[in-house]
Amino acid sequence: MNVESRREGTSLVLKADGRVDGTNASEFQDAMKSEINESDRAVVLDLQDLTYISSAGLRVVLLIAKDLQRQGAKMAACSLSDPVREVFVISGFDKIIPIHDSQDSAIGALS
Amino acid sequence: MPVAFKILVVDDEPDLEPLVLQRMRRRIRSGQYSFVFAHNGVEALEVLRQEEDIDMVISDINMPQMDGLTLLEQIPKVDPNVRSIIISAYGDMKNIRTAMNRGAFDFVTKPLDFDDLQITIDRTLAHLVEWRDALSSRDRLVSLENELNVASKIQQSILPTEFPLENDFAAFASMEPAKEVGGDFYDVIYLGQERVGVAIADVSDKGVPAALFMMSSRTLLKGSAIGKYEPGEVLKEVNDLLCEGNEAMMFVTLLYAVYDRTTGKLTYANGGHCTPYVRRADGSIIALPLTGGMALGILDGQDYHQDTFDLLPGDTVFLYSDGVSEAMNREGEEFGLERMAQVLAENTTEDPRAVNEAMFEAVRAFAGDTPQSDDITCLTLCRREKA
Repeated sequence: MNVESRREGTSLVLKADGRVDGTNASEFQDAMKSEINESDRAVVLDLQDLTYISSAGLRVVLLIAKDLQRQGAKMAACSLSDPVREVFVISGFDKIIPIHDSQDSAIGALS
Repeated sequence: MPVAFKILVVDDEPDLEPLVLQRMRRRIRSGQYSFVFAHNGVEALEVLRQEEDIDMVISDINMPQMDGLTLLEQIPKVDPNVRSIIISAYGDMKNIRTAMNRGAFDFVTKPLDFDDLQITIDRTLAHLVEWRDALSSRDRLVSLENELNVASKIQQSILPTEFPLENDFAAFASMEPAKEVGGDFYDVIYLGQERVGVAIADVSDKGVPAALFMMSSRTLLKGSAIGKYEPGEVLKEVNDLLCEGNEAMMFVTLLYAVYDRTTGKLTYANGGHCTPYVRRADGSIIALPLTGGMALGILDGQDYHQDTFDLLPGDTVFLYSDGVSEAMNREGEEFGLERMAQVLAENTTEDPRAVNEAMFEAVRAFAGDTPQSDDITCLTLCRREKA
């Protein structure tokens, strides 16, 4: 699992790859947290290369979403692979975190 | 040769440095000790910050800028595992006592007796080694084995051990707990003579906090289920209660169904859990549609939709956790829903325990020696052909 970040206009794009499960969920959390600034107002989670996420990983996404909400920021996810999209849909996470087909449409929706 | 212990000597006396290096030369040459020097507390803190591998500090008390007693207070903020020895004037009990109160491990007195200093250093370092061993084994034990042990005991303690076995229906649940991660639970709740509630759930994360969250989920579910027969209402109530003060953002996916023995009707609501499968008496397989509910504990005030399915005599409903479908083999392939459905179709029995055992067997055979990464849980309910 790796998290890379890049800024696109006023949005922070976090791109995660690999697998996130109970064994590396806290690394995943640290990796994302270290990329987010207090001044960020829009964060896009690009999950194109994330092949698997367990419930422990989803919890980290929730924690980050909650932190962002506290600082008045919005979050969206984009480009989910089929298995990850399925996890988001079954668990109902797609109702809390808007899912977009592409990075552009996620960035557009947040800005 | 072991890595030398690094000792920071703090004294404003310029003579001390060459004296220490000269008197301790054997220990230095043999690679047991290495020394760095500072001339007051401020400098010492600087060195401690820069050189992270310092094991102990030997400090004078009276120094310009920052004295030794103030330094003692500051050291743990930089590194709590550094041990300190203070150099005091002979018989200066007041300062010695203050130093001990501030965490000094030991003291030596002036004029310095280097034999005594060496013994004191050795004893301090021996203590440090033991302390580090204890710390690392505490970390290993408490945070992992011990904690997971406690968590798994909590988990085992809430699982029912007796299951209904009647002429008209039977239910059975079992779990193969994962060694390291675990958060599944199930329940069978008797709702009078005519109805029985069955639940399967998966709590996010692991360890004691997750296990406690599991316990409250299970208790709230049971309490709510006994008062209500509509699974959607039960999930709504449990969700609202779990959302209260859930700062850690733990959540539980929970499927709850009520089976009506007189009509064969199965009413179910799904809070983010994998969808149940039904095997009809003729061997055909149906995945029950999702009811669109979110995992519980995340967002309060939500309604949970419910759906019904008419179980005919000979039909079996199979609830499971993702530990079944996501079990992996050596090639990194998942067991998957198709294989799961296949096992269900092949085992046309009215004995729910046999269904579970066939499923566990199939998953085991598939996974081979690949370590199990998640709890594998199955709950089966069969509507039996009336004898």
